[in-house]
Amino acid sequence: ASVSGFLSLLSFTILFLAWLAGFSSRLFAVIRFESIIHEFDPWFNYRSTHHLSTNGFYEFLNWFDERAWYPLGRIVGGTVYPGLMVTAGLIHYILNLLHVTVHIRDVCVFLAPVFSGLTAVSTFLLTRELWNQGAGLLAACFIAIVPGYISRSVAGSFDNEGIAIFALQFTYYLWVKSVKTGSVFWTIGCCLSYFYMVSAWGGYVFIINLIPLHVFVLLLMQRFSRRLYIAYSTFYIVGLVLSMQIPFVGFQPIRTSEHMAAAGVFALLQAYAFLQYLKDRLTRQEFQTLFFLGVSLAAGVVFLTLTKPSLPPLLRYAKIHIPIIASVSEHQPTTWVSFFFDLHILVCTFPAGLWFCIKNINDERVFVALYAISAVYFAGVMVRLMLTLTPVVCMLSAIAFSSVFEHYLGDDMKRENPIKQHPFYPVKNSSVYSKLIVTMLMLMLLMMFAVHCTWVTSNAYSSPSVVLASYNHDGSRNILDDFREAYYWLRQNTDEHARVMSWWDYGYQIAGMANRTTLVDNNTWNNSHIALVGKAMSSNESAAYEIMKSLDVDYVLIIFGGVIGYSGDDINKFLWMVRIAEGEHPKDIRESDYFTPQGEFRVDKAGSPTLLNCLMYKMSYYRFGEMQLDFRTPPGFDRTRNAEIGNKDIRLKHLEEAFTSEHWLVRIYRVKKQENRQALDHKLRNIAAKQKYTSKKVLPSRFH
Amino acid sequence: VDAVAASEMFYKLLIVVFLAVSLQGAPADGQKKKETLLSEKVSQMMEWTSKRAVIRLNGEKFRRLIRAPPRNYSVIIMFTALQPQRQCGVCKQADEEYQILANSWRYSNAFTNRIFFAMVDFDEGSDVFQMLNMNSAPTFINFPAKGKPKRADTYELQVRGFAAEQLARWVADRTDVHIRVIRPPNYAGPLMLGLLLAFIGSLAYVRRNNLEFLFNKNVWAFSALCFVLIMTSGQMWNHIRGPPYAHKNPNTGQVSYIHGSSQAQFVAETHIVLLFNAAVTLGIVLLHEAATSDLDVGKRKIMCVAGIGLVVLFFSWLLSIFRAKYHGYPYSFLLG
Repeated sequence: ASVSGFLSLLSFTILFLAWLAGFSSRLFAVIRFESIIHEFDPWFNYRSTHHLSTNGFYEFLNWFDERAWYPLGRIVGGTVYPGLMVTAGLIHYILNLLHVTVHIRDVCVFLAPVFSGLTAVSTFLLTRELWNQGAGLLAACFIAIVPGYISRSVAGSFDNEGIAIFALQFTYYLWVKSVKTGSVFWTIGCCLSYFYMVSAWGGYVFIINLIPLHVFVLLLMQRFSRRLYIAYSTFYIVGLVLSMQIPFVGFQPIRTSEHMAAAGVFALLQAYAFLQYLKDRLTRQEFQTLFFLGVSLAAGVVFLTLTKPSLPPLLRYAKIHIPIIASVSEHQPTTWVSFFFDLHILVCTFPAGLWFCIKNINDERVFVALYAISAVYFAGVMVRLMLTLTPVVCMLSAIAFSSVFEHYLGDDMKRENPIKQHPFYPVKNSSVYSKLIVTMLMLMLLMMFAVHCTWVTSNAYSSPSVVLASYNHDGSRNILDDFREAYYWLRQNTDEHARVMSWWDYGYQIAGMANRTTLVDNNTWNNSHIALVGKAMSSNESAAYEIMKSLDVDYVLIIFGGVIGYSGDDINKFLWMVRIAEGEHPKDIRESDYFTPQGEFRVDKAGSPTLLNCLMYKMSYYRFGEMQLDFRTPPGFDRTRNAEIGNKDIRLKHLEEAFTSEHWLVRIYRVKKQENRQALDHKLRNIAAKQKYTSKKVLPSRFH
Repeated sequence: VDAVAASEMFYKLLIVVFLAVSLQGAPADGQKKKETLLSEKVSQMMEWTSKRAVIRLNGEKFRRLIRAPPRNYSVIIMFTALQPQRQCGVCKQADEEYQILANSWRYSNAFTNRIFFAMVDFDEGSDVFQMLNMNSAPTFINFPAKGKPKRADTYELQVRGFAAEQLARWVADRTDVHIRVIRPPNYAGPLMLGLLLAFIGSLAYVRRNNLEFLFNKNVWAFSALCFVLIMTSGQMWNHIRGPPYAHKNPNTGQVSYIHGSSQAQFVAETHIVLLFNAAVTLGIVLLHEAATSDLDVGKRKIMCVAGIGLVVLFFSWLLSIFRAKYHGYPYSFLLG
């Protein structure tokens, strides 16, 4: 008893340390900069959470945001996965109830690191179910620090994925548990966790396809059991009903093709169970007749529906998905370098874990094998889905490392354990030296992994991108806070209802930090609206003025990196604006007009005249020609594109410069109101009258 | 119904005869000559187009049908060099796309004689290339129905690429003829799949009395590992992006198998990485087997040493390749 107590104390300590390590390695950005929300989408999530915590849950569900997509607006409550906001709001509420007064921003900033600890715990639980306690602890340590997961869960990255990976792993743990036990209790837990996942992230589709796949493969392997039947039937029905409670999901689970595999497997499982039941009751002869009758009946139904023009959903599924498979090339696929960068040693060792799992197969290891194979496929197709691969890689690598350690780290206690599979217990025979070398090697690899993870987290994944930092030769640091400077200027100096036009990347930040109305934002649901903004940016000034007038634009905000050499600015994104505008307005905007005859995109004298006179160019380089950055370069030298600009004498007619931040990173222009019509000279009007007009009226006599 | 059709036919004939008569009786002799020349040219072009969607021109035909004045049709001409000795790989790809475009037009419902697709191969009409002062292939030029080709009548191949859809947009731009590109469906994939399924089915049928191999865990584990290794070594990236196998420096003749940037990769490189990953995996499995199998001690010792060697060597090698690609990465292990 004392041994097991000691073991659980050890496990608890290791899990706690893993949580602590995971939490602290996500704090680079907070320590280097401050407790700030990162990037773009998190700003929207933060703004919604703020709305939720100030106005209450029902007000949030009914929120119509008139500050986005002017003049359309956005129904926020019905178009977001509310799990993230509700989680942060709830934590904030509870803390305030306990008189721990924290600002909602701090809750949002630290939510993802805290949840990474929960992910580690649920990964431990899942791996323990699949293999053993030791592998579970290793898996928890891996997932706590692996860059593939840190990339989406550093402090300040307040995004759906931060909490969704926890929900994913916990749902899988409860699923494996319910398949193992066949108890409705665990299955209901699984459904609740699934509900949380649905409320948090669109990636729940992965669960609702992987679990049916698991059931289907188990049926094929003739591993049908009562436990499986109870688990899946309960999960499908309760999970379906629960998932439909999220307003954004609504009736999708019974309508769209992504969910049809689950329905199909549900039907199949019922049929299979029914046949099993009949098999017990009938003689072999009767059963065969009945079976053929059933099969021919099913074939008839399928045939009838095939000939009918409206295909049943299951068949439509395949039909819709063929173009999706074909259009996979649209997404960014993953190079081997990205795999290695995000997973390091784990990418080489997890196939070994998969090998061990398949060699010692059972119901739940079928699940992890399917999980690995499907996730690795999706990660290969799209670099963003590395996130769903990372947990399974951690688990399988932990299994691989643990099964090596188990035999080479030979502790004496284990040797007396009765669970030896082999009569000649190997550790006895293998020399002490080989044990020592292998153990040292494995520890060395793990140490390198830890160092790699820290380096990657620190260098690649801990930049808030709202605040930039540059380093001087002596290692001292300059903070470039232009974004917040400009947004704060907007907040303080413009009318409360002013409408700001910018490219969609900055929509959420303008709404979140400047609290002003935007035309387009990162929720890119309306392509024609974005194309209109793109058209305004890529037209000449007077054409753009017409568009801006029709959209009631008061200010235009652009990002310009030419002074400090910031490469993510609007001129570098400009071709996308042109392309999107061309897609909707092919008569007015042509991508080829923005290239030189040689097909180059250049901003210097050789650049195309259309580019040199378009609104974006003019706004970016307005008065830049007067600025000499250093003595080796001429005035108007763009550091990002390493070129002297081609149009230095820029005059604006309908716009005026309103604000330019310290390093020129953000420039804001005010759109002038229309001038009075028919401006006349100051000379008095000279009306040629033939004779002087005198009134013929006779005044009444009383005025005399 | 037949009677109606017949009467329709009759009217059509009547109209044709009437037209022919009226054409014959045109007053001005020069005008008449011009029109007969024009209709001759059009019917000539139509005849060739019916044989082949893209008309092959040589110097003489080019001068007579394109250069010489009476013309009421636009002609899109691809100037190319398809002979194998010219070694123009781009020309072949451009030609395939161009054929797709021309065929889409040839078999579309909107097909008229307003526009024709033609090509001039350098080895058949080098004089045309000289006449037009052209020194690069492939080049697409639109010869409009009226006037000489302008600057925009030369297709900007570098900028827009040679996809048939892009070409169709350009054609629509220049001539107002809208062509919907219809690509012939690719039967190779389904056919291969069908063959594979048939092969597996027949194999299962032949061995129907001995289906034990389906329950062989090694086979399943091995195929799962292959799939995983293929994916983690970035084969999907290769499939979608189609990089070259390796890069040969034209000046020094040196072949580099590893791409210098972390954003891209060569096919050879991914094969190397696949092997390295597999070797490390094998090393781990060997270490496990060395401890658990019931072979004699000597063999197990060899397995153990081999496992250590594989893991150490290939992981450090992999790390050094990664380090060479990812500039500024500070760590290495044994190999520099």
